Amino acid sequence: MSVQLAQRERHWVGRSAVHWRRFRLLLIGGCLVGLVVLSAIFADVISPYSPYDIDVAIKLQPPNRAHWLGTDEFGRDVLSRVIHAARISVKVAAVAVSVGLIGGGVIGIAAGYFGGPVDMVLMRFMELLFSFPAILLAIVLMAVLGTSILNAMTAIGIIFIPGFSRLARAATQDVLRQQYIEAAHTIGMSDVRILTREILPNIITPLFVEAMAAFAYAVLLESSLSFLGLGAQPPEPSWGNMLNTGRGFMDQAPWLGVVPGMAMLIGVLGFNLLGDGLRDVFDPRLREAA
Amino acid sequence: MWRLIATRLAAFVPTVLATSLVLFVTVNVVPGSAAKAALGIDATAQAIARFEHEQGLDRPLHVQYLDWLGKAVRGDFGTSFQNHLPVGPELVSRLPVTLELAILAFLIANAIAVPLGALAAYHHQQRLDSVISVFATVLGAVPSFWLATVLILILALTVKVLPAGGYVPFAENPAKNVSLFIMPALSLGLVSSALLLRVMRAKMIEVLSSDYIHTALAKGAAPNVVIWRHALQNALITFLTVGAVEFGWLFGGVVIIEDIFLLPGVGQLVLVGIINRDYPVLLASALTVTVVVLAANMVVDLVAAVLDPRQVHARSRA
Repeated sequence: MSVQLAQRERHWVGRSAVHWRRFRLLLIGGCLVGLVVLSAIFADVISPYSPYDIDVAIKLQPPNRAHWLGTDEFGRDVLSRVIHAARISVKVAAVAVSVGLIGGGVIGIAAGYFGGPVDMVLMRFMELLFSFPAILLAIVLMAVLGTSILNAMTAIGIIFIPGFSRLARAATQDVLRQQYIEAAHTIGMSDVRILTREILPNIITPLFVEAMAAFAYAVLLESSLSFLGLGAQPPEPSWGNMLNTGRGFMDQAPWLGVVPGMAMLIGVLGFNLLGDGLRDVFDPRLREAA
Repeated sequence: MWRLIATRLAAFVPTVLATSLVLFVTVNVVPGSAAKAALGIDATAQAIARFEHEQGLDRPLHVQYLDWLGKAVRGDFGTSFQNHLPVGPELVSRLPVTLELAILAFLIANAIAVPLGALAAYHHQQRLDSVISVFATVLGAVPSFWLATVLILILALTVKVLPAGGYVPFAENPAKNVSLFIMPALSLGLVSSALLLRVMRAKMIEVLSSDYIHTALAKGAAPNVVIWRHALQNALITFLTVGAVEFGWLFGGVVIIEDIFLLPGVGQLVLVGIINRDYPVLLASALTVTVVVLAANMVVDLVAAVLDPRQVHARSRA
């Protein structure tokens, strides 16, 4: 009896270890992303102070009991500003990734499904966009569109379109080789029906996994643009513009440079790990290779 | 091999032309924006019309593009809206700064990624592999501009071993030049090493599990020789291709890093072009960065083909 129990126990431990190895990235990434997303959603509730309240009497205070992460050059609470900045990052990343996903998805599916000249023209243009360094393209687009959060979302979204289109095209071509597509054509299904009922549901998973990974890059790009003064404009808090302002006070108040960077690190790391974790779960070949 | 070189060169020229067209159209897509940028938003319609006529901006877009391209090929990128100086010489003087930064950062990234990636692969699924993998994952999530800020805080403001920013040409004072480039190159190189390390590790794991490595070990070859001479050589070919993409990322990243460390490179010129809404400057500097990245990709592609002749045959069969 005790031997059986020990075997069952060992089996359970072994299975847990396998599960832990398989899902650890998902779990750690999920927790970090959960922290950032919940901060963004409940920023008004969990922030100890308003992120805009100025009180020069308490400016540049180091972390203390009243202000856990200190105060900035206008006496604003850094913790409250970091929490509210999460909202900007999540909002910009969500919209930008959606723009990239929808734009790239439509282009990729059209190129993969129709093939021939449609494929050639669309994909050559995508390759062209791909040849620009991402941050440079974002900066040029922001220069033309003008500095605002909405334009940052658009610019970052445009950068994501080529990547999603390549993935959608490859996935569509994979699905097109299946017999059920041939059957759909044979029974006279329209192109629109085949695209929406047969192809889209079968390519959505890799696109979704890629979208999670793109979130991390979107957070990074938004922070870069705000750092350069091209994204969120003060007094609206963003991790990028907080860091940019903070580096002017590095010798007197180093927390102003360190704290927003830590928040960025948590956000980017979380979305990276979540993306990797999802990829591991949905693509067993990659899991085995790792 | 010559055919491959010719094919890649033949593809390079149209790609550069197409990128220049995309940049030109993007910058000039909003009518009157260049004039408003140069004269200010309060400019009168008459002043805008006069400016556009002087600059040739009232001509059809394709005529403007062909005119600009014709001059750009001869190194004439027009004059700045702000200081009315020619943009071409400005670019030429700034390019070495950016190249020095990008190359140093690339060397640092590779110096970290190659040995650590190989080491992690050799100790696959052991503790050392886990430690190196976690290090790469965390490093990959660090924004380079934050790392730059932290480095300034530690090395320039606290320990005071390096200058916080500025530029001195190498020819003028080599030691000072290198000391000024250490932190910018580290900021870019360390972050960039994360991806390269992961690629190196994955490729080395694949190579180390191949038959010829097992045969070499079975025949009594020393593990060090097998890893560093046989396995690494093969892994480096794939690594090189990813490295080219990473070089592109580095070159794009210099825009922010040059601004932080006050390095007068092309990246800083891109920002100057944006802040002043100086379109000739923006267009020329953005195109320069893009062309350097495309050229780096092409060169790496050719070097990879030289190192691995199978690629040439595969391409010629395709």
